[in-house]
This record gives sequence, structure tokens and C-alpha cells, in this order.
Amino acid sequence: MRIAGDAVLHAPVGEVWDALLDPAILVRTIPGCERLESTGEHTYAMTVTAGVASITGTYAGTVELRDLDRPRSLTMRIAASGAPGTIGADVNVTFSGDDDHTTRLAYEADAVVGGTVGGVGQRMLTSVGRRRAGEFFTAVDDVLTGQAPAAAVDGGRTPSSGTDSEVGTVFTAPARTTGRDDFSKGLVVGGGLVLLGVVAGAVASRRRR
Amino acid sequence: MTTRLFGEPIRRVEDERLLRGDGQYVDDLGSDALHLAVVRSPHAHARIVDIDVDAALDVDGLVAIYTYDDLTGPLAEPLPLLIPHPNLTQGRTQYALAKDEVNHVGEAVAMVVATDRYAAEDAVDRIDVTYEPLPAVVGLDAARRAEHLVHDDVPGNVAARMGQSNGDAASAIASAPHRLSLDLQIERSASTPLEGRGVLARWDTEAHRMRVWSSTQTSTGVRAAIAAKLGLDLGQVDVMTPDVGGGFGVKIVHPWPEEVMVPFAARALGRPVKFTEDRREHFVSAAHERAQQHHVEVGFDDDGRILGLAVRFWHDNGAYTPYGLIVPIISSTQLLGPYKPGAYTVEFESLYTNTVIVTPYRGAGRPQGAFVMERTVDAIARYLGKDRIEVRETNFIQPQEMPYDHGLVFQDGKPLIYDSGDFPATLDKLKKLVGWEEFESFRAQARAEGRRVGIGLGCYVEGTGVGPYEGGHVQIETSGKVKVATGLTSQGQGHQTVFAQVVADELGVPIEDVEVVTGDTRRFPYAVGTFASRAAVMSGSAIALAARKVRAKALHIAADALEVDEADLEIVDGVVQVRGASKNQIALGTVAVLSNPLRYAFDRASVAATQFAVGDPTQPPVPEGQEPGLEGRDYYSPNQSTFANGMHAVVVETDPDTAEISILRYCVVHDCGPMINPRVVEGQIHGGVAQGVGGALYERMAYDEHGQLVNASFMDFLMPYVTEIPDTIEIDHLETPTPLNPLGIKGAGEAGVIPTAAALAAAIEDAEGFPITRMPISPSDLFELRRLHAQGDAGSERSDDR
Repeated sequence: MRIAGDAVLHAPVGEVWDALLDPAILVRTIPGCERLESTGEHTYAMTVTAGVASITGTYAGTVELRDLDRPRSLTMRIAASGAPGTIGADVNVTFSGDDDHTTRLAYEADAVVGGTVGGVGQRMLTSVGRRRAGEFFTAVDDVLTGQAPAAAVDGGRTPSSGTDSEVGTVFTAPARTTGRDDFSKGLVVGGGLVLLGVVAGAVASRRRR
Repeated sequence: MTTRLFGEPIRRVEDERLLRGDGQYVDDLGSDALHLAVVRSPHAHARIVDIDVDAALDVDGLVAIYTYDDLTGPLAEPLPLLIPHPNLTQGRTQYALAKDEVNHVGEAVAMVVATDRYAAEDAVDRIDVTYEPLPAVVGLDAARRAEHLVHDDVPGNVAARMGQSNGDAASAIASAPHRLSLDLQIERSASTPLEGRGVLARWDTEAHRMRVWSSTQTSTGVRAAIAAKLGLDLGQVDVMTPDVGGGFGVKIVHPWPEEVMVPFAARALGRPVKFTEDRREHFVSAAHERAQQHHVEVGFDDDGRILGLAVRFWHDNGAYTPYGLIVPIISSTQLLGPYKPGAYTVEFESLYTNTVIVTPYRGAGRPQGAFVMERTVDAIARYLGKDRIEVRETNFIQPQEMPYDHGLVFQDGKPLIYDSGDFPATLDKLKKLVGWEEFESFRAQARAEGRRVGIGLGCYVEGTGVGPYEGGHVQIETSGKVKVATGLTSQGQGHQTVFAQVVADELGVPIEDVEVVTGDTRRFPYAVGTFASRAAVMSGSAIALAARKVRAKALHIAADALEVDEADLEIVDGVVQVRGASKNQIALGTVAVLSNPLRYAFDRASVAATQFAVGDPTQPPVPEGQEPGLEGRDYYSPNQSTFANGMHAVVVETDPDTAEISILRYCVVHDCGPMINPRVVEGQIHGGVAQGVGGALYERMAYDEHGQLVNASFMDFLMPYVTEIPDTIEIDHLETPTPLNPLGIKGAGEAGVIPTAAALAAAIEDAEGFPITRMPISPSDLFELRRLHAQGDAGSERSDDR
């Protein structure tokens, strides 16, 4: 199934790009993200607890960022599985700076969902996906505009900006203590993980027998 | 010899559990199941523009939401047209979930699964469907005008045109001494069983098996439909029918959208799912029947003998035609009742409307047919100033004319040939039962008291026990208990009782030892279903044949064990014994042990059996052509239906001021051949008459011009209470056996409802003195008719004398 959407973030495109690749931020802004571990260049392993209506569960999976074309576009390849089912998706994300202060981010996901969560109906999955994505981007935008605090990482480590976290670094979702600058990174992965957990639900799974 | 149970009015074994509230209906099962609820169209005709489920996501307990887009493969195709017919050139069926367009209020658009019914309904309420309303075609007048179409690609809203003739009716009418033409109408009504539809499905994720419980009249049909729609092998699907709180025809339709979507959801979610229909849903999304407009031309002689009869009618089939043309074909053929017009021609159009589908409802087109024919015969009598009974007798098929071939094709595709019946005798019994000759003095007496009374008659013939077949399985266990299974279902008819009576007689066992299971595809996978007054005829016959096989095998083994001739044996109270030498005996349970040459003696019965030696030592333990076990399976497959008949007489009183209609007496003479259990037959007649009274005086489907059913509740739909039904329904029987089956029996299930509207219309007409040409009739309708006739605004009868 395909899910597409967009969001307007109130920060310059370069800043948004950098922000979106910071796992330390993602881990606490993605709904249900409990744990994120850097496993290599642009690859992460993570644990997300997500629910589609009454079907909730914990998914373990990976995210890989590919085709990086800073600050215009990238692709995320997502794979995860958990008790409620499995999710696989390629998410294309494009960035465009509307002006010096805002960035338009468009995503398009082609997803395959299996298992029970895949059996809940495509309209529902799409609807859940759009809603969670909306919540996520709103939250992120709140941070970018200073309306919400940014995140800290495990053990109080604050990652440097950029995309390459040291392999093995584990990010968890602690109490919120850090400032805005650190937060404004990692949105792209965040968008992807939202899709992973919920958004990227889909249709193909219903054909599973 | 054991007392013969066939013909005994024993109490129904079902009543013990049903009357104590111990029955098990679908909704009593599956307490662990998720609940499915349905988003239904609020429009009679509309295009679906968008379905937005977003607001439903906030409902705690929501599990899944399905729309047409979730359907794949055969499930994405329209539901089956169950009974195609060459004349049904424009057959249309709905999708399990509406695709692009809805064609009646109540059509399923989306389905929600949630942890309970409350959550499911809350989510249903929050699903926002955007519709583009289209003009609705409501009622036969609108359908015939065809200013708007129900289906864009069906010109004139005509699903089918069909005609049949026997002789040249037009010429016969043209040359007849007298002619009459009548316009006669029957409105919509519905089966309205107290238990609505219900489905429970469990998908076994390990064994890959689907188990479904449905409140249906055909478990085998539902099974086949689920397998086909979900891409499963038949062997992967079991369908069980538990106690069913009434069917009356509506539950023969299959599969309902819910019957495929509940199993679909159970498999998709890996959890049991159930659907329990509520009352409003039943009104707007199950099925209705009855609405027809008829035009009659009849030519007759001075005696009232019908020389030519030509009938045209228009049948409202609702939005779709899943059940084909069965109802109008039955109307067009069974209209003839016990009569033999010199020539007959009938033509009908089956028309689409933006209303609930029309499928057979108890009587299935016959109440309309009987209404048309009986009104016509009464009109002839009135025109000639003759007694209504005399005109009927003049037109009856005589007993010596049986079998009587009407020269028409019946609904089962076979020639319409009456196998048996003695119509003059039936009418004679009715005449005596109601006191026809004495009625005029009663009328005079009532008139003197300022009361207005009338008497009416209604005669019918009903094709019962239509094929193609049913089967039965009978097994005697080593305990001596007898297990019986047949595939068709029960909706409260008393099958467990009457089939046990048949088996007890055939095998010579106590009825307490006989246990009957119906409608469980695990026990008997081949069956058609319970409709068309066919269960006793079809399964009763099949079970009798199966029991005879078992009896033959039992006698064979017992003769071997007792070292006597089979012909000298009888079975009494479950024991095989030599006639006149009751010491030389063997229990049937022991025979069952001997029938299965095992080497293990693991219970008392098998130890007891060791005293007997059976079998030819030169042969294998299970000789060629034999099977282990004391059981038998057989099928009954007749070439044609068997025709039951009956005649009703009713005495009514109409209030001169309020036009209230009261039934003073209701008399039934009924011939369904030999009765297995007269109590059960009379129960069927009582229920049928009650349903017929409802259809004649109270029940109608009040659709407004937009296709909204404005009386879709029991507050507004006037199902009669016991207070509206006569305290006593006086019944007499005639038992004319049919040669067509081993028991000589005919069906009785629909009998009570068929001539009720005809008889009541006749009685009201007799009380009021003006023609009653449309039913049902309410006090308001009658009041209005009085006003019109007082003004001299005549009815819809035309006569043309020469």
C-alpha cells in the first residue's frame, strides 16, 4: 500500500536535514520509540511499541538511510517485526526550502504489512498512519520553533550534530532535559520510524494467507 | 411390537430446552469473540464518494475496519446469484461491501471489528461516509414508470420477463359468455424471525480450518459459499447451525455479506469474530417479500366455470436478485390452486427498486397467487349471484384426475404435476367445520344486533418437498443408542422429534434412545436446506431409508448370531428376537458390537457379545462389500415436488364506526398426507395462520418516497400479538398420501400462511359489500374504502357481459 503526506517545518532546510538524521532526537520524539541503536553508517536497530487501534505490540527492526542527497532527498528502508505482525517499507523523503525559515517535507511510503496488524483494513491503517505522522511532525515542529524541549541521550550523552552516530551507541527515551539545538535533528528517521511503527501499515498483508 | 410412533402427537423433545431458556443460539456462543458491526447506507440510492475512518480511531477497543478496498479475489466479486434462470437476463447481486454505489437503505458499506459490540457500534457511528445521493426508485409504480433507474445498465428496471401458457387463454376469454377484469395488489412484508441473523467464526491458525456457526436455513450452502469466497477447500470449512429462532425463508439466502466477512475477519485477525444482527438491521438489510401488482382477465360460463384466465403481474424484487425468480415463478404457477381453468396464460415482470432484496418468505409467492385466484373466483360468484363454494366446486380438479398436469413448468424446473389430493372432500370438510350453511342465520342475528359480520374462504395447493435431495445417516452405537444426522437445518420445526419418531418406528427402538442432529456439516456434509416445506418429506424420507438399511444389516447379523432365519426376527424395544420365542434374543447394542470385528473387549457390551459367533470363517472378518459398524446412509431424491393442499374459512366482524376488523372464527382443513406428528403439524398451522393474519391485517413495509423504511422497529411494524390471533384455530385434517415418497407424506410448514390474506379479504368483502382488492388492510384503509364507496367511487373490477 502507498501512503503519502507532507509537513511544513519552521526551520531552514539545512537545519531540518541535519536534525532529521539525529537518532538521539528521534528516540524521544517518535511515538512509542523505546530504544534506538546505531549499527553502522546510516543504519539503526530499534524497538518501537506501536498500536493500531486495539492491536498493540512491540516491534524490533532496522532502519537504513540510502540515496542521501543532502539537503534534497533520501530513502529509508525499514523492516520490523513483532507480535502483531511485520512491516516493510521504502520511504522516499524530499525536502524543499520554501524560504529561509520554513522547509516542506514530503514523504511517500510503499509498505507491506503482514500479520494481525495487516488484517485490520487498509483504510484504517492509512488513517492511523496519517494521523501519527501528523502528530509526529507537529511535535517536531514544536521543538524546532522552541515550543517544546529537546532530547537527551542515554547516560546524558549529547550527540554531535550529523548523521553518523558511533556504532553501538544506544539511545533510549529518558526524561526530557536537553535543549533545542540538539533536538532539531533526526526528523527524517523519525518520520520513517513513525511509518515503521504505524504509518507504513498495509494493504498487501491482507493478502497473506 | 413396539407402539407405532408415526402419527402420535407426542410432545416435542426440543421444547424441554427451548421453553426453559436452555436453547443455544449463535449469540449464546463465542463469549471470547470480537464483535463485528456494520456501517450501513442511510441512502436508498447513492454513489459513495469517500469513506473517512479517522474519527473512529479514537474508540477504545477498535480492532479493524473493512471497506470494499480490503476485499480481494472472489470476495471482491459480487455475491453469488444463487438460482440463475434464462429469463433473468439482468440479474444483479450486491458486493459483500458496497463498491462505489449503494442501492438500498441498509446496504453494507463498511464493517468494524472491536472488542465488544458497544465499541464496534461507537466506531460505526464515527465513520464518515460521503455520499452523492441519486434518485430513488421506490415501489412498483415508480419501478414501472422507470423515470429513474436502480441500475444504470438495466433498462426499464426490468430484471426479468417471463410468461407461461397452457392453451389459448386470450381466445377462451374472448369467446366466453362472461368476462371480468380485476386489479389486485399485495404489499411488502417480511419474515421477521425473532432471532435475527448471526454468525460466529473461528479460524484455527494451526490446523488452517474455519469453523462457522450461522443462524441459517442451509449450513451446507453457507459452507460452500465461504469456501468459494475465501479461497478455502470445502474440507477446511465446517458450518454448524445451532438453535435458530425462526427462519421463515429469510435465512435461506446465503451468503449474507456478514456470513463471508465474519470468517474473513476471523482469519485476518487470528481471533474469533461474531456478528449479531439487531432488529433495525434486520428490517433494512435482510430480505422482504410479497409486493406484487396483478391484472386479471377471466372468462367464464353461466356456471362459473373458468374458460380462460390471463394474469399479468409485476413483482418488486428489491435492489438485487440473489434468489433469482423463485418467488414470481411460484406465484405464476401456484396461483392455480385446486382449479383447472380451460386455458391459462401468465406473464410477469420482475422489477428493481431501491429497497431491501426480496427472497422467499414462508408461502413464497403463494399468498399472492392464492389472493389473486380466490379473489377472482369470488368475483365470478358475486357476478353470477352464485354461492362461492359452488363456483369453487365447479372448477376443482377432481381426485380421479390425479396426477394432474397443468402444462406448466414449476419453480424447480419440473412439470407442474399434482400428485394427489381430494379437493372436493377438503372443501366439504371445511364447509361442515365452519358451518357454511348456517352462516346466513348467524349474519341475520348479528345484523339484528347492529353488528356487521362476513365469511370468507381461501383454497390453495402447495408444492412441497422440492428436490434435489436430502440424506440421512443412522448409526446404532454399542450402547444401543441411535445417532441420527441429516444435513438440513432446524429453525424450531420439531425435526428432532419427528425424525426420531420415524427412526424409532423403522428400527423398533425406544424414542428416548434416538438422538437427532441437524445442520452440522461435520455430521452430514451433503444437504440442500430447510425451505419450501421440504424437511419432513426430504430428510424424513432419507432418514427412513437409512434406518431401513441399518435394520436390514442388524437383522442379518442377528440372524447369524442367533442361528435363525432373518425372516423370523423382529425388533422390539431395541432387542432383536425371534417372533414368538422372546428368549432367543440379542440387543441391538450387542449387534453393533458384532458388526465391528475388533479384537478388543473394552466394555461390557463387547464382553457380552463374545457369547455370539458371527461371520463365515472362510471369509475375511469384513467380507467384500460389507463395512464395519451398524450404520446406514441413504438419500431421497424425488423427481418432482409433492403437492399438499388446504382450505381456510374465516368469520370476521367489522366495526360499523371504527372499521376495526376482528376475527371471530378461523377454520382450517389441511391435507399434508399422513402426519408423522399431528401436534407438530397443528403447531405449524397455528404459526402460519398467525403470520398470515399479521400479513393480512397489520404488517407492511412503510417506505417513504426516498426509500427510507419508516417503520423499522417493533414499535411501528405491527407484528400481531397472541391477542390478535383467534384463541382457537379450528383444524380438521384430510390425509391423502402421496405415492412419491416412502412415508407418503407432504410438507406442512408454509400451509397456514398461504390463503390467509385471501380468506380475510373475502370475509371483509362479505361483511362490507364492496370488493377488497388490496391487502393488507388496516381499519384506516377500510374506513377510507367505505367513504369512497359511499361516494360511489367504485373499485377496480370491470365486467363485460355478452
